[in-house]
Amino acid sequence: MPTISHEDLFELVQAPIDVPALRQLVRGAGDGAIVIFDGFVRNESHGRATKYLEYEAYEPMALSKMREIGSQLHQKFAIHRVAIVHRLGRLEIGETSVLISVSAPHRAAGFDACRFAIDTLKKTVPIWKKEYFEDGAIWADGELPPAPPTAKPAS
Amino acid sequence: MLFFGRVHELTGFREETEELHEGTTLDDLFERYTKRFPSLAGFRSSLVASRNQEFAAWDTKLADGDEIAFLPPVSGG
Repeated sequence: MPTISHEDLFELVQAPIDVPALRQLVRGAGDGAIVIFDGFVRNESHGRATKYLEYEAYEPMALSKMREIGSQLHQKFAIHRVAIVHRLGRLEIGETSVLISVSAPHRAAGFDACRFAIDTLKKTVPIWKKEYFEDGAIWADGELPPAPPTAKPAS
Repeated sequence: MLFFGRVHELTGFREETEELHEGTTLDDLFERYTKRFPSLAGFRSSLVASRNQEFAAWDTKLADGDEIAFLPPVSGG
């Protein structure tokens, strides 16, 4: 089992994300930097004006994939703590949909870990976004997560 | 069986239970759904299967009590 610091946080929430609280949560006396990725709802998509977004998730699997990202961060980068929170339900323009907060003794590890976390989340965490426009709605183009090409024998 | 996003809209279900023969694979199960929901067939190459909350190969054999989903491309963030 990968080890995860009990101070890390992985959550799916319906309510607005408290960005300052998540900055504070990861902060430790031995840290020198916190890198935050704050993803929020843009007012347009491919040139069409967005009204609002709706997010849904395969919740238990999404949380388990978010925790996997956390344990990868600790293996790959010299970080202290990580918090990854994704909001679900209806989000208005400008509202934070995903917040990743990483603390580290030195900035390079924090930047690298934060970038890895959001890139991996977008490829592997089962969350879906529907974009609502004046004249209709579409599921956002996404990425197909990698799956094993063939089943392990005798599983 | 669990259904999300576009797949939920196509089938109209959030979840249901399926009775399977021994040795049924994810591919077989998907095939069965395309008979009920022909519009699903065109999406096969843009879906990934999961078994018990892990991404799984299409030739995976299923067992009693498995939790299965055919997941559309993910678009969180």
